[in-house]
Amino acid sequence: MNYKKIFFGMTCIVALSGVLGCSKQTNNQNIVKKHVTEIPMILTVDPTTGKKNEEDMILAFNEKYEGIYHMDVQWVLQTEEEYRTNLKRLNVTDELPAIITDLRLLPSFYQLLVKEQRIEDLSPYINSDPEWKQMIEPTVLEACTEPDGRIYLSPLSTAVFSCSGVFWNEQLFAQAGIEHFPDTWEEFWDCCDVLQRNGITPLALHTEGTAWAPMLLATAELADDQEGAEFMEKLYPDSYQNHCGLHLASTLKELFLYTTEDAMYADFDVSYRNFVSGKAAMVPNGYWMLDQIPEDMQQKVRFAPFPGNKLISSPETFGWAIVSSYSEEVKKGAVEFLKFRTAFNQKQKKDFLEGTMEENSPMLNDYIDAYTGNPQIVPNYQVKWNSGLQEETLGECIPKLVKDQMTEEDFVRRADESAKRFQEER
Amino acid sequence: MRRWKISGIQKKYLSNTVALLVLALLLSSVGVWIYVRNNMANVVVDKYEFMTEKMGISLDSLYKKSEEITAKCIIDENVQKSLQTREMATVEKNALSKYFAYIDLDHVLEYCYVDNKENVYTKSYSDLSYEDFKESGLDELLSDHYAKTEWLFRKDSLFGSGEKALFIGRNVHSMEYLHPPGMLFFKMDEKFLQSIVEEKKEIENIAVGIIDDRGEFCMQHMPENFSISSQDRKKISKLSENSDAGMISVRERLQGGILQAYRQKESGFIIFTLVPNEVLSQGFTQIFYVLLGIYLVVILIAVGISLYVSKIFTRPIQTISEEMERFDGKDFSHTVHIQTNTELDKIGNSYNEMLGNIQILLEEIKKQEKELRTSELHMLINQIKPHFLYNTLDTIYMLARINGEETTMKMIQALSSYLRLSLSKGSDIVTIADELENVRSYMEIQQIRNQNLFSYEIDCQVEERERWILKLILQPLVENAVKYGFADLYTGGIIKIEVKEISGKLTLFVYNNGTPMDQSMADKINALAEVPVVELKHIFPDKKQGYGVVNIVTRLRLKYGDSVRFVYEVRQEGTTCMIQLPGNGKENDEL
Repeated sequence: MNYKKIFFGMTCIVALSGVLGCSKQTNNQNIVKKHVTEIPMILTVDPTTGKKNEEDMILAFNEKYEGIYHMDVQWVLQTEEEYRTNLKRLNVTDELPAIITDLRLLPSFYQLLVKEQRIEDLSPYINSDPEWKQMIEPTVLEACTEPDGRIYLSPLSTAVFSCSGVFWNEQLFAQAGIEHFPDTWEEFWDCCDVLQRNGITPLALHTEGTAWAPMLLATAELADDQEGAEFMEKLYPDSYQNHCGLHLASTLKELFLYTTEDAMYADFDVSYRNFVSGKAAMVPNGYWMLDQIPEDMQQKVRFAPFPGNKLISSPETFGWAIVSSYSEEVKKGAVEFLKFRTAFNQKQKKDFLEGTMEENSPMLNDYIDAYTGNPQIVPNYQVKWNSGLQEETLGECIPKLVKDQMTEEDFVRRADESAKRFQEER
Repeated sequence: MRRWKISGIQKKYLSNTVALLVLALLLSSVGVWIYVRNNMANVVVDKYEFMTEKMGISLDSLYKKSEEITAKCIIDENVQKSLQTREMATVEKNALSKYFAYIDLDHVLEYCYVDNKENVYTKSYSDLSYEDFKESGLDELLSDHYAKTEWLFRKDSLFGSGEKALFIGRNVHSMEYLHPPGMLFFKMDEKFLQSIVEEKKEIENIAVGIIDDRGEFCMQHMPENFSISSQDRKKISKLSENSDAGMISVRERLQGGILQAYRQKESGFIIFTLVPNEVLSQGFTQIFYVLLGIYLVVILIAVGISLYVSKIFTRPIQTISEEMERFDGKDFSHTVHIQTNTELDKIGNSYNEMLGNIQILLEEIKKQEKELRTSELHMLINQIKPHFLYNTLDTIYMLARINGEETTMKMIQALSSYLRLSLSKGSDIVTIADELENVRSYMEIQQIRNQNLFSYEIDCQVEERERWILKLILQPLVENAVKYGFADLYTGGIIKIEVKEISGKLTLFVYNNGTPMDQSMADKINALAEVPVVELKHIFPDKKQGYGVVNIVTRLRLKYGDSVRFVYEVRQEGTTCMIQLPGNGKENDEL
């Protein structure tokens, strides 16, 4: 009897062991992974300083929206021209990131994207969001709004950071006995002569990359009279074979009398290096260069509006667009990011204007003075003129003009050819 | 040759062990089978799942490659120029036609680029017109997509082969201006998709194929003697309804095997593998045979060990059993010799001991039977004699009375009484009264024989007619007292007989004040209680000494059992013998 019980017990144990042995050991850990929407974007690394542009804002956004949205930024070491050309390539291969920058600096490309409905109309978002709309200065919103009321470029809050003027080396000026930046263009040319006589190269210029530095000076000088100012307001001028065009060509030619020898066929980075290394006394550029001035130059560099109290600014150039081909989820996140950018910019403006003068660098105080000194705002030629002229004609013709291989008349004729070609293709 | 015979305990032990083992192996084999079946399937399927994913990634790479190459074409300077408003020169057009022939993409059969001015660029020998292109309907397949690289598996109505082929197509937009797009198509040969499975020996046994975004089979690679059933084909085709990317089907059981599929996100093409059932079971069969082999070896080893171990225990038992069976009650020489260092050794020894005891008892019984027969013979003879003896004694008594010889009269009377009690009563149990009368007669005879040697006292404190005792117990004790105790006396001897009840037990004391018994003798007698009955007679082999005592003790223990007490107490003033009987002195019922 007992033996049978033991046998039965052992059988049960064996059976149980078998069953337990066969039982699958699973640790069902239901890990619910939170879905994070990735928003792709391309931003540049400043080739002169190696600093990642807009990094502060990207980090702030990713921190605030952690677990919901994430800006997946590809940082590229490209010049502005390379970056913009790449944007065009990415468009035709359908590889644009969800958010694109600098679009308004490529007027025809911008128009192409609008017409082909490649970018989103943001007006429903901005107009239905009073909080967002209230953050944007009216002039900025107006600049970003199309005549039909659509908004393709998400604006910054303020134009305060979008102005360009002249950075000048106070030490070099003092060496030449000049105490302040010239107020008029006559004084400017005199100043250049004095500097040059004292062995100081007055201007840091270049010819490639839409000839940004010389064109800033030339267009600011052009807008010094009524006719020139009106010419600069025109979108896609039909012709440059007029007084304004010839004046612009003449000014460009004259400017290159006061620049470094390596200015030909060089891009802005050469101009920047010449200025920060003390080889040239002046370089025109925007607010964003304040952060790019080396530490040891901070006290030597000053900022001034162009002679005649002029600042060049087109706030729409800072507008960023959302690419339509992305999913609604990504686009929603992109809209959230652009609103965040406006708010971030608003806070920057507040911090900027409320900062104490004593703590600011001299050039920052100069910038605030210039912006608040009721300057004449001249539109950025990059927003107004056709891409072919900017990207091909200027780079090709300015060196010839400077080297007397081309007359002012030839220069404006080439400009007109480019405009005509543009009109044909439109 | 020795015959292998299994029986009895060993048979039971072996059969139960084998039963338990078979049950255990059966259960474990079921468990192992289930486990192995799942795991083998997992291992096999894991392998092909990995391979499917790998081939899926190759499909991704192939798509990316096609995307990269077409992207290069799109941003090509001449291609972009062809989209501008101005018509290109013929030389430029010819150059552009040739450009597509040198792209870095293998397995291109034909190409066709159509700009936004209805110019068609193909291989030099082709005379494809824009109308031919429009008739092919390929342009409509691209119209919804801005610049996405499209993989289209369609009937070739463009280049005229009429067979289905893979076309890679893409809209070509102007980088600078808003113009209608051009369209670019590459017709790929079948090796393009086959390049994914080429030189992969691992897939020889499985079915691999690619279906397009409409569920149409574009490429198939089947093992020998295997085809996909129409039902399975339908299920595979249905995968195209899935819009996820990556592994969209893992371990899906179909009629023909296990299906796994990877969907290429952008093209919607799906590469699938179908692992045939035969491939899945191949591993199982091998494992089954290995398992079977292991089990057989385990069973053989277990049976061998069981036989060996059981033999250790069953052999001695079998020996004892055989010896017991062979024992005929006469031959006591067949003792067993077991040396296992287990309890079995004790059993063997006990058996041998028991055999010895039985032999002694048998001899004793034989002897007693012999004695009994002699006794019975004597009794028969003596039954005749008492009448004559009593008559003679009566005659002597009458003569002594006539002659006035008082002593003679008294002695004859005592002798007559003694003989009557000793001979005439058939029962061996007598009342205390009879036993006392017997001993009294004996003592009176002894007093007559040994005048003034001793006096006696009898003190009976129990109801002498209601208490019983084995007859002739007291007389030998008194005889010993007279014979040995008073050996050195001539007068003044005292014998005291006391009968009383102590703790409910009938207790008799026989005291004499003669020479005390030797203490060593007393100790030896007292130790008789520990000696087995059969061995008592060996304690005093000399019949001249101790024989009477051994006789008394043997008779008492045979009658009353081991609870009877028989103790000699030696003091300076004399020797006392105490007999204590259980109950009322009648025969012990338990014996």
